[in-house]
Amino acid sequence: MPSPPNRVREMLSRYLLPHRGLVGSLTFLLLASNGLQLVTPKIMGAFINTARSDSAMDEVMFVGFLFLAVAIIHQVLAVGARYVSERLAWTATNQLREDLAMHCLRLDMSFHNKRTPGEMIERVDGDVGHLANFFSQFTVRILGSLLLLVGVLAVLYLDVDWRVGIAMSIYAIITLFGLAVLRSVAAPAWNEAREANAGLFGFLEEHLSGTEDIRANGGEANSMNLLFHHAGNRLRTERSASLKNVRLWGSTTGFHMLGHLIGLGAGYMLYPDRMSVGGVFELIWYTEILFRPLERLTREMEDFQRAGASIGRIDELRRRSTNISVQPGAMGERTTLETSGALRVTFDEVTFGYNAEDPVLHDVNFEIAPGRAVGLLGRTGSGKTTISRLLFRLYDVQQGKILIDGMDIRAMEPASLRHRVGIVTQSVQLFRGTVRDNLTFFDASIPDAHIHDVVDSMGLSEWFAALPEGLDTLLQSGDGGLSAGEAQLLVFTRVFLKDPGLVILDEASSRLDPATEARIEHAVDHLLAQRTGIIIAHRLATVARADEIVILDDGRVVEHGARAALAADPASRFHGMLQTGMSELLA
Amino acid sequence: MPGLVNREFFNFITGDAPTRFGLWSMAALVLAGGLARLAGIVGIALTNVQLMYRIAALLQKNMLGRIFQLPGASALDGSAGEAISRFRGDVDEARRFPLRVNDWIASIVNGVVSIAIMMWIDPYITLICLVPIFAVTGFVYVLRMRIAILRKAARDAAGNVTGFIGELFGAVQAVKVATAENSMIEHFGTLNQQRSRTALRDRLFDQLMDSVFRNAVNISTAVIMILAAQKMRSRSFTVGDFALFVYYLPGLAEMTWMFGSIFARFRQLGVSFDRVRKVMRDAPMEDLVEHGPIYMNHDEPPVKQPVRGEGDRLERLEIRDLTFHHPESGRGIDGVSLSLVRGSFTVITGRIGSGKTTLLRALLGLLTKDRGEILWNGQLVEDPASFFVPPRSAYTSQVPWLYSAPLRDNLLMGLSDADVNLDEAIHAAVLEEDLTSLDQGLDTMVGPKGVRLSGGQMQRTAAARMFARAPELFVFDDQSSALDVETEHTLWTRMFERRGTEAGQTCLVVSHRRSALRHADQIIVMKDGRVHATGTLNELLGRDEEMQRLWRGDEEPYPASQPPAPGSFGGS
Repeated sequence: MPSPPNRVREMLSRYLLPHRGLVGSLTFLLLASNGLQLVTPKIMGAFINTARSDSAMDEVMFVGFLFLAVAIIHQVLAVGARYVSERLAWTATNQLREDLAMHCLRLDMSFHNKRTPGEMIERVDGDVGHLANFFSQFTVRILGSLLLLVGVLAVLYLDVDWRVGIAMSIYAIITLFGLAVLRSVAAPAWNEAREANAGLFGFLEEHLSGTEDIRANGGEANSMNLLFHHAGNRLRTERSASLKNVRLWGSTTGFHMLGHLIGLGAGYMLYPDRMSVGGVFELIWYTEILFRPLERLTREMEDFQRAGASIGRIDELRRRSTNISVQPGAMGERTTLETSGALRVTFDEVTFGYNAEDPVLHDVNFEIAPGRAVGLLGRTGSGKTTISRLLFRLYDVQQGKILIDGMDIRAMEPASLRHRVGIVTQSVQLFRGTVRDNLTFFDASIPDAHIHDVVDSMGLSEWFAALPEGLDTLLQSGDGGLSAGEAQLLVFTRVFLKDPGLVILDEASSRLDPATEARIEHAVDHLLAQRTGIIIAHRLATVARADEIVILDDGRVVEHGARAALAADPASRFHGMLQTGMSELLA
Repeated sequence: MPGLVNREFFNFITGDAPTRFGLWSMAALVLAGGLARLAGIVGIALTNVQLMYRIAALLQKNMLGRIFQLPGASALDGSAGEAISRFRGDVDEARRFPLRVNDWIASIVNGVVSIAIMMWIDPYITLICLVPIFAVTGFVYVLRMRIAILRKAARDAAGNVTGFIGELFGAVQAVKVATAENSMIEHFGTLNQQRSRTALRDRLFDQLMDSVFRNAVNISTAVIMILAAQKMRSRSFTVGDFALFVYYLPGLAEMTWMFGSIFARFRQLGVSFDRVRKVMRDAPMEDLVEHGPIYMNHDEPPVKQPVRGEGDRLERLEIRDLTFHHPESGRGIDGVSLSLVRGSFTVITGRIGSGKTTLLRALLGLLTKDRGEILWNGQLVEDPASFFVPPRSAYTSQVPWLYSAPLRDNLLMGLSDADVNLDEAIHAAVLEEDLTSLDQGLDTMVGPKGVRLSGGQMQRTAAARMFARAPELFVFDDQSSALDVETEHTLWTRMFERRGTEAGQTCLVVSHRRSALRHADQIIVMKDGRVHATGTLNELLGRDEEMQRLWRGDEEPYPASQPPAPGSFGGS
């Protein structure tokens, strides 16, 4: 892994170089505005000297206006610099955000299962945001401050007095190091305080959404105690952080004072032999200016460190790669699926576990002929859902192989495979956007006419027509303001738009009201017609339309046969299940 | 202070005006001023942090306490996220305000003293140089409104971006299987652009205001230069005076700003208090600021354990004419009456939206009933919300709630470990096998920040929490049942076996699952918010069409399209 400076350099060159124009104008603006800042004290000094001499009044006025003009130009440049630097930062980091989001999307599910959406927001937006500060502030503040610092010292050496220059340089170095050390002491304490804050609000969010369970089970006192605990943590960490910060503030004041004294002392010694009153005024003004970049630099160093940590995390993320790769097929083997028609699915001695030591599926064998529908039964954790994940190559098998139309899916591009397989799950995720966006996943290239065709063919046109603004109806995230059933109708339409050759229904039609259920019925009929189907179910009713039944137990196929035959066979497990489900009625 | 010292210094070296101090006393003054500031900083750090976070903790305690008094199923006005913004942002406003008042006073005193000194030196120049400062600051202050608008736009756009990232990665599997990666990222790019546009506008305006503000000081400085030039020649306005004026100007600009902003802050504080009180459902202001212990030193008091009193033993529970309507939708339950006796197993069933969960919630006081009576052993229950808690009753809700803590804490939720038979509760909830698969057993972190449990495991954990309380009455909302047939069967069987023993008493269950219905002594069929029929399973199946429909509905959702195999499906 490259060292941190290299990583920073790589990041800078990748995301800043394409915007050379902006970088160039920013540099110009910074140089110009710093130059003007250096001129200001000169003007003040000149003013004092002119005012006290016998020069014409016009000249004095001129100096006054010159001062004003310089000040205003300086501010205009500052606005310009801010604008350019912000623009640069946003352009660069937005690019990085998109690259990073795409990269993460392509990572395996084993990566995503360990991370909450909140954490991904922190990685893709939070860390990159720190970097944005870095891109914009680093350039403006750090480089700007350094330039100003060097400029002030140079003026002091060359124009004021070299001894003052040396004294101030020593002062600058001591201040810079002193403040940097003190800051690094305070930084971890602030991190702790931030964590305590996050802990408190995380606690509140959780417990505010649990009022029903807390109240009805008498858990209020427990929750109040947790509040005291978290609030106490917050107080303690904030207190310790701000006490550490006091040293920093205190020293800042001290250094500031020291600078002031050095300025006054130097002025006293040099006046009037080597310096005019105006010169002394300039000197004191310069010492005042000198302090600003010193303070700012130390403050920015902290941000710089935080950006360093963020760069580390971003880099770590970018270096992760997916385990799902395309393995070349055997000689001349076809590795792309037909673009239409039902698919044949074969599981050949498949063994798989989410971690290698702990298999979830053991030597699973079965075949589904094109156009047939198979009901997959088994208790929670028996491996049903795992089978559907393997079919999408969200994971790759450890032993054995999965064939579709006789081809090993490991030889296929995941994207080309997924185009031909559709799934409807119980949990439906909607995005903030229109109904159209939710159907097409924001793919603007799918024409409305195509969507309408699909909707018609599913017999859902009536329902779609009832949406207040048709395809433009806005949905919120979560349930989108739709009933669970309506949300599932959307998902059915999504799958239809894809026109897959294999359809997986994962406990797709639970929790529905009768009206929607009837609509779904119809949609399912259409979906399964001319397609191969796998119906995963906890409940027996769901598999009523399956041609065959596969029963899984603890990752093994324990029964496979035609549904009607198994139901009629008193020795079969399926028969037994039907009995548990309905013994009393039959009695 | 440094301003005065500067003035003395220049007067001293130029000899323009008599000075009171020598060089060393001036250095001493600079030092003294610095030390005084230091003392101030230390003092503020010691006192302010304590004050701020104690205020915050007290407000949050009162808010949360109040929320826990509200009907549990409708305690929050909006989402938890919205409530959090009040616990965070609005409480912040309140905890910072006292310090802001201090800053305000300090800055005003500073400003007034500065002006007094300047007036004493030269009233004419002082008055004229103050004009641009007051004018520009006032102008910027008015423009502040515009900032608020820009800032809100920027914040909304940022919210869209983070919201989308959350949605994107929350639905990552769906996106992958739909091969929608490219179009999703494209949309993400659009949102990003919107955000950078609004953010740029916001920051630019910010910088503009800052620049205008600084220019106010510059203009004033230039005014002083021009006005003072004449007087400086005659030495009636000294270089020291000039240095002092220039030094004081930024402080004066700040004062003008602060002067206006404190009123805006005060208005903001009022808004914040209103928002907080809305969370507390308009409780009186005194409740929000009521004093009480806040246990800031990890010295939380022990949780009071439920004690079984004499009248707590349940013999008979009666509900008469229970009615509740949701204020927004108008839906709810109407005139529900039912009764259950000790040791009985009652199942409430009905279609989606028939009022089953509402009935449980209204009974337990999680919703405030519109009318009706609840009688516990013939005694009227005055306040169901405080009455229906352990040891009298415990509840497993439809969507089980776990918090980020060890599994053990989630089960106990404040109960003392010594008083509870956790093993028994875990067995009753059919959780024992899951427990062995967890690396750290009962110490495994669960909840949003811990190990992700499956839906079924969460439901059974919540059930174990209920069993651990060994209540007289078990209330179980099982509609979302994430359990497979066999696990569910085991659960009901174990629950049924406990009936009549001291441990397992009376059960009130909402379910549409056959294994539950089969165990019921009494089934209550709800329809459109009313009790449609009551009886045993066989009675109801014999005479009630709704019951027949529900019974079939569970096992035979496709009657029309595909006739079930004879003898296996359906059967009526």
